Amino acid sequence: MEAPPVTVMPVTGGTINMMEYLLQGSVLDQAMESLLHRLRGLCDNMEPENFTDHELVYVLKGQQGNPFILRARRSLSHPTSPWHLRYVGQPEVGDKSRHTLVRNCVDVAASHSLPDFLNEMGFRMDHEFVAGGYIFRKGAMKVLVSRVSRILVPGNTENTERVSSSYLVELSVLAPAGQDTVSEDMRSFAEQLKPLVHLEKIDPSKQRH
Amino acid sequence: MSGGPAVKISIESVCEKQVQEVALDGTETYVPPLSMSQNLSKLAQRIDFNQGSDSEEVDGEGEFRDREWSKQEQEEEDGTVKFQPSLWPWDSVRNNLRSALTEMCVLYDVLSVVKEKKYMALDPVSQDQTGKTPQVFQLISKKKSLATAGQLLLKGAEKLSKSVAENQENRRQRDFNSELLRLRSQWKLRKVGDKILGDLSYRSAGSLFPHHGTFEVIKNTDIDLDKKIPEDYCPLDVQIPSDLEGSAYIKVSIQKQAHDIGDLGTFNLFRRPSKNRGGTQAWHMKLEAAQNVLFCKEIFAQLSREAVQIKSQIPHIVVKNQIISQLFPGLQLSISLCHSTTEKKHQRVSPEKPKPDDCLYVLEHNLHQMMREFHKQQLSSVVMPHPASAPFGHKRLRLAGSLAYDKTEISNLQHSEGLLEKIIKQAKHIFLRSRTARTIDSLASRIEDPQIQAHWSNINDVYESSVKVLITSQGYEQICKSIQLQLNIGVEQIRVVHRDGRVITLSHQEQELQDFLLSQMSQHQVHAVQQLAKVMGWHVLSFSNHVGLGQVESIGNASAITVASPNGENAISVRNGPESGCKVLIQFPRSQSKELPKNDIIQDAKWSHLRGPSKEVQWSKMEGRNFVYKMELLMAAMTPCP
Repeated sequence: MEAPPVTVMPVTGGTINMMEYLLQGSVLDQAMESLLHRLRGLCDNMEPENFTDHELVYVLKGQQGNPFILRARRSLSHPTSPWHLRYVGQPEVGDKSRHTLVRNCVDVAASHSLPDFLNEMGFRMDHEFVAGGYIFRKGAMKVLVSRVSRILVPGNTENTERVSSSYLVELSVLAPAGQDTVSEDMRSFAEQLKPLVHLEKIDPSKQRH
Repeated sequence: MSGGPAVKISIESVCEKQVQEVALDGTETYVPPLSMSQNLSKLAQRIDFNQGSDSEEVDGEGEFRDREWSKQEQEEEDGTVKFQPSLWPWDSVRNNLRSALTEMCVLYDVLSVVKEKKYMALDPVSQDQTGKTPQVFQLISKKKSLATAGQLLLKGAEKLSKSVAENQENRRQRDFNSELLRLRSQWKLRKVGDKILGDLSYRSAGSLFPHHGTFEVIKNTDIDLDKKIPEDYCPLDVQIPSDLEGSAYIKVSIQKQAHDIGDLGTFNLFRRPSKNRGGTQAWHMKLEAAQNVLFCKEIFAQLSREAVQIKSQIPHIVVKNQIISQLFPGLQLSISLCHSTTEKKHQRVSPEKPKPDDCLYVLEHNLHQMMREFHKQQLSSVVMPHPASAPFGHKRLRLAGSLAYDKTEISNLQHSEGLLEKIIKQAKHIFLRSRTARTIDSLASRIEDPQIQAHWSNINDVYESSVKVLITSQGYEQICKSIQLQLNIGVEQIRVVHRDGRVITLSHQEQELQDFLLSQMSQHQVHAVQQLAKVMGWHVLSFSNHVGLGQVESIGNASAITVASPNGENAISVRNGPESGCKVLIQFPRSQSKELPKNDIIQDAKWSHLRGPSKEVQWSKMEGRNFVYKMELLMAAMTPCP
């Protein structure tokens, strides 16, 4: 058993080769109302929807290289809807002039037996959290305003504690690779939110160190 | 002029000191300003005395003012002295001037003599010039000041007219902007280049119709200033695409199938009078009309697409601006798009169309409503993903894979009834409903005994409505309540629910309902006799809804009843068929029938209580206004006195 059970290489090619363009920021609880108000005006003509999601992050440790991370997410407010399994790649080290973070991304809808399946495959749960908030949409752009809570007792989504007193704001678009107009649109949208929230490209790998 | 000067205009020279000379070092020496008296004399000098004293009174303003001045002067001198020509203060001036003129004339003569150089020679004398120059200067200065005054006046007038024009221009501009603001509050606008484009399509409301639906906002400010501005002038105008001009509507009608195929597709249109609502702008009406045209086109496009796609036993026909679909055999639904583009066409067509209005406004309205529902469905079909990290997309796509749906489950998810199917169902229902009503009404008016009452419920579904039918006899409504029918009219059939819970399903054929009602009416009469017997104390000997004996009825069955009088001696038998009508027989005890031959077998006295043979009653000759009343009379007559 020399080789790892699955390839650690990111998935590429085919019709699923989508990129996620991402901008992130945060806003304090006090300013949240005005941000929601602004988003309601800017985004598509529909009421914002609430969501409460439970995310589990699974790690598969290979023998060499970085661990392979998968994110499984389910909706607590819509228990019948399918799970969402997501692979997120490393941010592209493209040109610095690009306005957004770009990373490889694979989305799969999955049935409710996903955690068992991942455990069987050798994945181990690294951490879990509950994210709840509002979801907006403007064209292809998705805006998530969510507060993140950590789970105190593993597996119990009722017993949670806020990580911080601010909301995470994420602006993301899923698009095929090489569409720089997308990042341009996102930048101009982020500009319109400017005094309330500063959306920037934040590289999670650099944050860790 | 004779009415006196209307406006006083005072003319003064420029209030600026005149430059006398400019020194070499640049300093200017001014002419010292005239004192009051100097000024007065200067003004007096300007007066043209050549006019003569007799024309003074006629000449208008100048003389008048002169007089005014003199008056003022007099008042300065001695209060209230009246004006007298001899006391005129400038008399001396005038005399001087007159003498000067005389001298000038003399000088002129002298000069003309001198000019000849025969008689006289002159040495230059400097004092000679002094007599001539003041008058020249006077004239020149007079001309100059007048010219300056005129120029000032002209400038002022120019400024005034300019500002008036500017004002108007500004107001129109302001009007345009306010109109644009109003337009903006109701319609979607955007700026492309130097044009303002608007969107009148229903795309933002969920429409998928590919028409772009763009209109252009035009500034309509350059009108002729001289002409009178028309009443309905608006500085803002809109230009709509040429294919959305005019007015349009969807016409839905149900017709008997009589057309040839060649006759189809050229549906004549007539224009409905458009209501002109007060208080709305012209552009708003124009845009609304265009939007309506667009909406009608979208409905028609959707319907014709479905008509082609849907596989039905009898294919739907789409010809030009008409869709024809078979509702029931011999009956078709026609949906047509009427679009009148120009006024001329309308005038040409309208006189030849005095045809009856067979449109089904309800269906037209429902079509519009369904289209809007369709739009709304389109909008709400894009649901937000849950969990939130999932990509946007159709819910069923995500469900189908992860939950391993099979084909039927997927098709269940995406199945939705089309506009055409819905409207055909509604049309069928509407037709069936109206025909049911007609059938019941015609029966009720044709048959007086028994009576039919129909109670239509006013809360209906688009596909179902119900009516309660009561069959009663006049005057006996309380006792004869046996037949109560609930007719549930659906899309293709009518379900009849009896009072006792029996359910009968009738098809869309008119005859079926009619026959059914007729048989029910004939049964009612027999039921009525039964009820009457109870009230009168008679006994029911036999009762049958469906008699197996006797003449065969073409519709339904005959029903029969036999009742006996309270003491059992007399009996009445009734047989009633929907076609054959009623037949009433009566029986008396044997003892009362005289013509009966003596029977050898039944000799005993007790047999005399047996009822004798039946005799038919000539029912049409009975007294009474209806069947039940006649029956009551008959029973009363046959009830023996106690």
